[in-house]
Amino acid sequence: MIGEIQIDGVLIPALLVLAVEAYLVLFALRAILRRLHFYQFVWHAGLFDTALYVVILWLAALVSMPFHSSGVGP
Amino acid sequence: MQLTGKTVAFVLANTAAVLMALYISFASDLERPYWAMFTVFIVANPLTGAVRSKTVFRLLGTVTGAAMALLLIPPLVDAPVLLSLAICLWIGLCLYISLQDRRPRSYAFVLASYTAAIVAFSVVNTPNAIFDTAVARVEEISVGAVCGAVAHSVIFPQNVLEGITERIDRALRRCRTWITEALAATQSSDLQGQQQLSKLVSDLQILYEHVSFETSDVPRNAPVVWALQDRLALLLPRVSSVQAALAALSAAGPITRSTLQVIEAVSQWARATPGAHGALPSGTESEVRGALARLTAESEDGTEWSSLLERTIATQLGQLVTELSDAVRLADALKNPYATSTPGPRLEPPSRRTLSGDRGLALRSAFAAIAGTLMACALWIEGSWPEGAVAAQFAAIGCTLFATLDDPPKVLFVGIVGVLLALPVAALYEFAIFPRIDGFASLALVLTPVLLLFSWMQASERLAVMGFLLAISFAGGLALQESYRPDFASFINSNTAEIAGLAIAAVVSLIVTTIDPVWNAARISRAGWNEVARLAEIPNSDIRHWTLRMFDRLGLVLQRLLAAKRKDLVGPRIDGLRDLRVGINLATLQRSSEALPAAVRQSMNPVLNAVADAYLGLARGKALVGGDSARAIDQGLAALGAQAPTRPVEDAITALVGLRLDLTPFGSRYPPQPLHS
Repeated sequence: MIGEIQIDGVLIPALLVLAVEAYLVLFALRAILRRLHFYQFVWHAGLFDTALYVVILWLAALVSMPFHSSGVGP
Repeated sequence: MQLTGKTVAFVLANTAAVLMALYISFASDLERPYWAMFTVFIVANPLTGAVRSKTVFRLLGTVTGAAMALLLIPPLVDAPVLLSLAICLWIGLCLYISLQDRRPRSYAFVLASYTAAIVAFSVVNTPNAIFDTAVARVEEISVGAVCGAVAHSVIFPQNVLEGITERIDRALRRCRTWITEALAATQSSDLQGQQQLSKLVSDLQILYEHVSFETSDVPRNAPVVWALQDRLALLLPRVSSVQAALAALSAAGPITRSTLQVIEAVSQWARATPGAHGALPSGTESEVRGALARLTAESEDGTEWSSLLERTIATQLGQLVTELSDAVRLADALKNPYATSTPGPRLEPPSRRTLSGDRGLALRSAFAAIAGTLMACALWIEGSWPEGAVAAQFAAIGCTLFATLDDPPKVLFVGIVGVLLALPVAALYEFAIFPRIDGFASLALVLTPVLLLFSWMQASERLAVMGFLLAISFAGGLALQESYRPDFASFINSNTAEIAGLAIAAVVSLIVTTIDPVWNAARISRAGWNEVARLAEIPNSDIRHWTLRMFDRLGLVLQRLLAAKRKDLVGPRIDGLRDLRVGINLATLQRSSEALPAAVRQSMNPVLNAVADAYLGLARGKALVGGDSARAIDQGLAALGAQAPTRPVEDAITALVGLRLDLTPFGSRYPPQPLHS
């Protein structure tokens, strides 16, 4: 785990917050790529998007690591 | 059902999703992993876009429902009757809202309704745990839904668009057949085909919402779909008005040579096979245009009935040709979004488009849901039935989940059979197999055959409902939890309660929501007649939105009449195509009369009033044909005949002739007027 975030007494795993953030980023990125007709060149868009999401989530976890000193990183 | 590649992909994806959901739930110590398991079955659909949209709406609905339970439980936990009432009202309200809209998003409201019941009823004995229970349900459902969405989008997804374009192509081919039949004056009315076209147009509305949830390679092209929808909805009324005008023309006397030429040219054009990219051969189209121009020029000056009919035929056929070739080009643009070679038709600005739900029926279903759940609650509270909570939960699920289907009680009875069938299988697993296994790997191994079977059933069209119900009751019966706790008594108790809940739901909806299809068809038609009357009274209405709604109604009425095997009822009273023709002609008349001189415009008002009166009379049980609409239309025609033949005058004449064909007895002649010169 990468620690927890506290909102009004409720503990929320930081990973959940990161996952939601990563999804928002993915959402925006997909809209841009679609506008550029990028997906014409992708063989399997479902797989591509899933992989892209994992990459974004990993990057997000990496970037947020310094803020969770208590956590042990991946 | 054949074992096609698509089925195999779906079955594998679904099984993988179930196992993935179970693994994640076990690994993260969730309270009831079987919730994740059956959520996968609930969101499963062979079309990826549908799975993903359902996932999103399911998550939204679940969070809302759980929040509602969280809000209601603390103040009301000591007053079980009040709590039951509050939950039941919430269920009814959500169901009513969800039935107002036939689009996929209405699913969120269904979920919000029964999630509240599930969460609230399962914690009444331990109200302190409400927060944990609510969070646990949301977590389990999220895990299941997300696993389903990921698996179905990664393992050989099938997109919604392919199915849509296939159906559009079929509908367009059928339209060409209709055109040739109408021009050959064969009196065939393909009611089945009309109903299918109407369903396609409505489904475009409903299915296209899934496309925005599709994987990213599926192009989003909403304006094209809406434009196509507008064209498709107009084709049938157009064909039938040409047919009516032709019939009247051949009754009025011999058909002229230029009319025959037009008929020949158009039917050749309709029979021509489309070339590459679905484009129609341009040679035949220009031939059609030439023949139409000749007919228009020849009949332009005549004010007697037969030349009026010829003018109408020329205008209507011209519009039909334009609309059908537009539709073909739009369908092509939908299939090849990146091809820019063919310039598509100009797209109109989007108009409002909602398919009306049936308020009365929605209210009935909401009432049934409230009554069913309350009844289960009463049994639970009054009978001090320990498993009553389960019965109340399943009554709520049964009343809400299937409310959108045509025949909820039947599906519910199938559901009870499903629980009974799944029970021995679940018992076999629970008491014979599970004691011998250990760990997730062996659990996955023993579950896989059943999961494959249920997924395969869900993929088939005929077995889909049964497979879904079997899967859900199997998952519920198994009640997989973190550690193995065999308890035969509670196994039987909770399953009996499930069956009791479903049975209550089935009986209540059988009593409350079963209605005679013929009566319902008459009701829907009556609503349509009132809308025609309103269109005549209110100028500048949104005719595209109106046409879509009326065309949808036509399909609903035909569907019910065909199901009841009462084709004979389509006639002088119930005739959706006639209503559409009248409405379109009214709108044309209103639009074109704005460009006419004030004196002429004044003489159109009696026509509008007469049509409105005729339709209000129809809704009140009188006959449509006859009355004084004929006189008003004839006066209008006389006033227009004195005008120079400009575009608006032509349109208005066409509209009036069309109205006259529908609102006067067949064969009644328009009296020739002396020419003003």
